[in-house]
Amino acid sequence: MADIINVGFIGNPNCGKTTLFNAFTGANLKVANWPGVTVEKKEGKTIYEGQEFKLIDLPGIYSLSSYTMEETVSRECIMSNDVDVIVDVIDASCLERSLYLTLQLLELGKPVVLALNMMDIVEERGMEIDLHRLPEMLGTPAIPVSARKKTGLSILLHAIAHHKEYDTQGPFIHHHSGMRSSHRHNHHEEYAMVYEDVIEGKIDMIINALAKEYPDTDNKRWHAIKLLEKDKTITDAYPLPLSSVIDKSYEKDIISQKYDFIEEIISEVLVNKSAKEASTEKIDHYMTDKWLGLPLFLCIMALVFFLTFTIGDWLKGYFEIALELFSGSVSDFLASIHTNDMLVSLIVDGIISGVGGILTFLPNIFILFLALAILEDSGYMSRVAFVMDDIMSKLGLSGRAFLPLLLGFGCTVPAVMASRALEHKKDRFKTILVTPFMSCSARLPIYVLFSSMFFGKYAMLVCYSMYLLGIIVAIGTAFILSKIDGSKAEHALLIELPEYKSPNAHTIAIYVWQKIKDYLTKAGTVIFIASIIMWGILNFGPHGYVTDISESFGSMIGKAVIPLFKPVGLGYWQIIVALIAGIAAKEVVVSSCSVLFGIQNITTTKGMESMVATLGALGFGAANAYALMTFCLLYIPCTATIATIQRELKSWKYTGLILLYQLFAAWVVSFIVYQTASFL
Amino acid sequence: MTLKQGKNNGRYQVISIDTELKLERRLEALGLTEGTLVTILNNDKKGSLTAKFRGTRFALGKCIADHIEVREAGA
Repeated sequence: MADIINVGFIGNPNCGKTTLFNAFTGANLKVANWPGVTVEKKEGKTIYEGQEFKLIDLPGIYSLSSYTMEETVSRECIMSNDVDVIVDVIDASCLERSLYLTLQLLELGKPVVLALNMMDIVEERGMEIDLHRLPEMLGTPAIPVSARKKTGLSILLHAIAHHKEYDTQGPFIHHHSGMRSSHRHNHHEEYAMVYEDVIEGKIDMIINALAKEYPDTDNKRWHAIKLLEKDKTITDAYPLPLSSVIDKSYEKDIISQKYDFIEEIISEVLVNKSAKEASTEKIDHYMTDKWLGLPLFLCIMALVFFLTFTIGDWLKGYFEIALELFSGSVSDFLASIHTNDMLVSLIVDGIISGVGGILTFLPNIFILFLALAILEDSGYMSRVAFVMDDIMSKLGLSGRAFLPLLLGFGCTVPAVMASRALEHKKDRFKTILVTPFMSCSARLPIYVLFSSMFFGKYAMLVCYSMYLLGIIVAIGTAFILSKIDGSKAEHALLIELPEYKSPNAHTIAIYVWQKIKDYLTKAGTVIFIASIIMWGILNFGPHGYVTDISESFGSMIGKAVIPLFKPVGLGYWQIIVALIAGIAAKEVVVSSCSVLFGIQNITTTKGMESMVATLGALGFGAANAYALMTFCLLYIPCTATIATIQRELKSWKYTGLILLYQLFAAWVVSFIVYQTASFL
Repeated sequence: MTLKQGKNNGRYQVISIDTELKLERRLEALGLTEGTLVTILNNDKKGSLTAKFRGTRFALGKCIADHIEVREAGA
């Protein structure tokens, strides 16, 4: 069998590159990160007529300069030996934009094959692309494909295999009307992209200098162009004494001359350009309207929210029943084979209830990411950034951050995961920092219990005030942060609004599956360990295994930190232990309270009455209850969230910082609330 | 005038871009160079606007649109 051909898939964002990549590899792909950066790297394999192809999906980029992480990563990968043939995926419906990257790729001197995707959209709009003239002008094969309909795929592989050896381009047939070159070389026979005489002259001089100083350099023309652009990486690597030739950065000229050539190509290749107005513009007329845009977005999100937390919760109910049955039968089984109590407790109370509790969130996560994938694939998500940009930029956040914040009201885990859509690291950090302040549904049982116990008919209002308080703290935090770092430029919104299209089932299925797998494997392992640790703290004491929680390490910790919690009205060891247990999952605060205070069926009227009496005897009143609710709203999120935050930020340091800040915020706000309430 | 001062459906030609270098290069890589024709799609809001150039629609924040000098290009 012939050697494996390494193929790099590259293209603009939204060009359908991932859909095409998936069409070749299916779900059979390896997802990792590029070394040292958080840019995703996907690899897959396909075999065609006995020839094996290794496919690498490079990040979607507009240019090969080195201004962003994605660009640097792509450029390095293509220049290395990891890639034999470059497949430049082009959105044929916006040829003009795509060709800029193409011209840059051609200059790299590696074999390039163009995959013209979305030809169906081109046809729909009554446009035509001259598929003979395009290769003539660029000197490289151009294959029409449809990633969605899976057509043209074998021809593309064919072209890749055949074009592998071509590292020179051409022949070219250009008719540069009105362009008279007095240059001594006729570069038009060698290169697709030829610059004005001044620049070509400089390129020749630099090539000569490179040949002298660095004779082993491959593709000197490309290096010369990069040196003329004063590209930092190349300038540092190849210092040349040519300050008279490279007297300034010619990047601007090089870019605009490329675009001049692209205009020439478009005028010859694109037939019937002024077609009817695309339907995208009509939809956007409403979607991005000054008044309608926001309500429409809120309606769409309300629907997503509704589906996630009604259908999701409905399915979750069955998951919970199944979990109860499972843990019941496991404990019966373990009892029947006379396993010792401690082991039963570890397996049933620790592992099954911990890990199982997380599994019950699967339906919510599945539906949420299904809805998000549909919105993303249809092209709507970038409109959200535009619609929300004005409001969010006042808080120093990007328009896209609104979505994670809104999702936070449902469950913080998917909300934190959704922050991945944010472009900048700083934005991601800020969003992840404030997202847990959005009161998630797991905290509701705590509010319901304590507000109905202590606030009678005002219970509803008190619950509602928790949500408001969370929003205020989140806004305040974001506002203070934006004042501290004051970096405006990063929020400069610059985002493509792609064509609306009907979502592709295959792409969505792969996207959702990746998310679910992520959630199950990585979050699962951390939660597994965390459940065991929590179980250990609550079931072990200085004298070993204990059945009475008041003798456990948990209660010792609780008793030790009472002085810290006294000023916020929570100086009761049972409450503190319940809060610690609540780190496993917020709902646990309620069940822990019932265990710790020894009250059965705490959510019934009778249970609540006896709880109020017990707490009252300890001096725990309405002010303490409100402080407790506030503390639960703001303090450390549940283990699932912590694990997710760590995974998204890929840093224990920042995760730790976030947790510390949340503890701090919880303490300060509860202190203010408790002291004010006691004073009243 | 700046791009931000443009009207919906108006066609404008870029005279100059005056932002930090990194952003300027990003815009240029997207095809927003001097002389590029830009059609404003939606400039109703106080902040960001949507515009089309070189065949693609973009949303541009106010701090970008404020720093792009343009002139009317006629129909």
